[in-house]
Amino acid sequence: MKLRADHVAGSAFILFGAGIIALSGDLPTGQLSMPGSGFLPKIVAALTILFGAVLVLRGGESPPFAELAWDDGKHALLVTAITSIAIGLYEHLGFFVTMLLMIVTLLLLIERRKPFYAIVYSLAIVGLTYVSFVYGLKTPLPEFSF
Amino acid sequence: MDSTFISLMHGFAIAFQPDNLWYAFLGCLVGTLVGVLPGIGPLSGISILLPVTFGLNATQAVIMLAGIYYGSQDGGSTTSILRRIPGEASSVMTCIDGNAMAKKGRAGAALCIAAVGSWVAGTFGVVMLTLVAPPLATIALKFGPPEYTAMLVLGLIFLAYMSSSSLVRTLLMACIGLLLGMIGIDNMTGHFRYSFDLAELGDGIGIVPVAVGLFGLGEILSTPSYTVVGEVITPKFRELLPNRQEWRESFWPIIRGSGLGFIIGIIPGSAHIISSFLSYALERRVSKHPEEFGKGAVAGVAGPESANNSASTGAFVPMLALGIPTGPITAVLIGALMVHGVNSGPQLVTEHPDVFWGFVASMYVGNLMLLALNLPLVGLFVTVLRIPYAYLYPLIIMFCIVGVYEVSHSVVDVYIMLIMGVLGYALKKFSFDPAPLVLGLVISPIFEQSLRQSLIMSNGDYTIFFMRPISLGLLIVSAIMLIMSAYTFMMKRRDWRATLAEVEAGEVQP
Repeated sequence: MKLRADHVAGSAFILFGAGIIALSGDLPTGQLSMPGSGFLPKIVAALTILFGAVLVLRGGESPPFAELAWDDGKHALLVTAITSIAIGLYEHLGFFVTMLLMIVTLLLLIERRKPFYAIVYSLAIVGLTYVSFVYGLKTPLPEFSF
Repeated sequence: MDSTFISLMHGFAIAFQPDNLWYAFLGCLVGTLVGVLPGIGPLSGISILLPVTFGLNATQAVIMLAGIYYGSQDGGSTTSILRRIPGEASSVMTCIDGNAMAKKGRAGAALCIAAVGSWVAGTFGVVMLTLVAPPLATIALKFGPPEYTAMLVLGLIFLAYMSSSSLVRTLLMACIGLLLGMIGIDNMTGHFRYSFDLAELGDGIGIVPVAVGLFGLGEILSTPSYTVVGEVITPKFRELLPNRQEWRESFWPIIRGSGLGFIIGIIPGSAHIISSFLSYALERRVSKHPEEFGKGAVAGVAGPESANNSASTGAFVPMLALGIPTGPITAVLIGALMVHGVNSGPQLVTEHPDVFWGFVASMYVGNLMLLALNLPLVGLFVTVLRIPYAYLYPLIIMFCIVGVYEVSHSVVDVYIMLIMGVLGYALKKFSFDPAPLVLGLVISPIFEQSLRQSLIMSNGDYTIFFMRPISLGLLIVSAIMLIMSAYTFMMKRRDWRATLAEVEAGEVQP
């Protein structure tokens, strides 16, 4: 049997639902006359498993998993990695430095733009945003705090 | 009727205050830009700019955010007509005939018809909102927990029925949203649920990180810059007015689109997308020259553009009168009102008349502003469209981070946004629509509370939902929806939803 996209997606939802039920072990289900905090989560998790199973059963109609296009995967991975690092540094380096570094890195590393244009563009938009937020909208942004 | 008129006049007095006019203008301008730029939809636009409204009062905040919403419906048509890329999802249908008109040298006329149609439909929608919302809110005051539970069930099932993806996929997304909404402290018992000892998760997951992640970052992750190409057609200023024939051909489609859009707007689901699709199909069916559709038919621009604007206003009816979101955008707006200490719902008209009527009146003004903005500023929008996407998306990521962080000054929220972005990317790969997830997240607390309250008040007797006429009626409608979906599935019948899914994927013309 060929592995299809909905087989993978449905299985993931079944695992997710099962995980929620496992995590809900210490939450009281209560009774119908006094439902506890685990009452609805368990019902919804069971429904997730049920719908996941339907997806797996009907999986034959979906495209083969191997044929899903992942040609944008490298772009997605790089953007995620750079954004993740920027989020980690945001409260330490502050808005200006972090965003400047993030945008320059995205433009140089992923988009292969000329360094001069990348730096000038990044400086301009980060500077403009900083001024707009701090002075225009009176909304303080994180400052450098190492 | 008299009291409605007097209240509306009071609303105009609020809407015409200089600062409220300014925020309506700002919302319309930003909304138009959000609509023009491919990759940023109204949902991510509103979510990103939500923190900017924290310094405003509730009336100003909702005036500005709603301006972004209906402004984006207008702006989306510009990109569709000039680049054949939908600026936002509801403009998909405008791409077909709008761009065909542009290629025939009628770009200006297409833009003008879209702008006038949007204005007529938007104004019609607000008139209907003015007439329908207050009496509906009066009826909703009689609703108790069972009625709310039944209504939310109906909302979810209606969303699943109307969605272009399958019933199972939509319900799965709604389940994930409901589960995400249960993270944090249980309001009725005080138990911590799925918070993994993270204090930041005690209050639950906010709608902003989820919406910005799924719709903003998720879109960027799945759109490498080399895939965004397109020639921008520049209309000449003197060509902006349609000729007499084009005005005549657009008249009835605008009227039909306005009516159809408003009715669909009230129904839960991605109403503005569905309404433009149905309007296009309707216009082609009633046209004496259906063969012209796809080759620059005026009705193919006028109908869908009117319908999506009217639908975006119609969506405010259940939001304002019942406190129930019909889609993720109204869900974010409800969240925005809650941030300002205002609960939308039946009490909004009586407890916060300034917010309700000021908001309604500002929409009359906002629709006029859009008409005045869109045509003279076409040159500016063409310039914006020429900015390479490679330079644009880093800017959007920056706004995503700043927007989410500013809501609660929490890096955990920003990481949640990143996780949701990756989830949004994966969901797209497997053809899931994330909109029901956001809706599930928003209604989760209301749904859980009303369900548990209903069961407690009936001492565990679940027939309470069938013993009360309103909730019984709502559940019967839900059951009919489910049966109709199951019938379509079992008979393997293709209906309009299957065609919509293919059109959205760019596979066929309707």
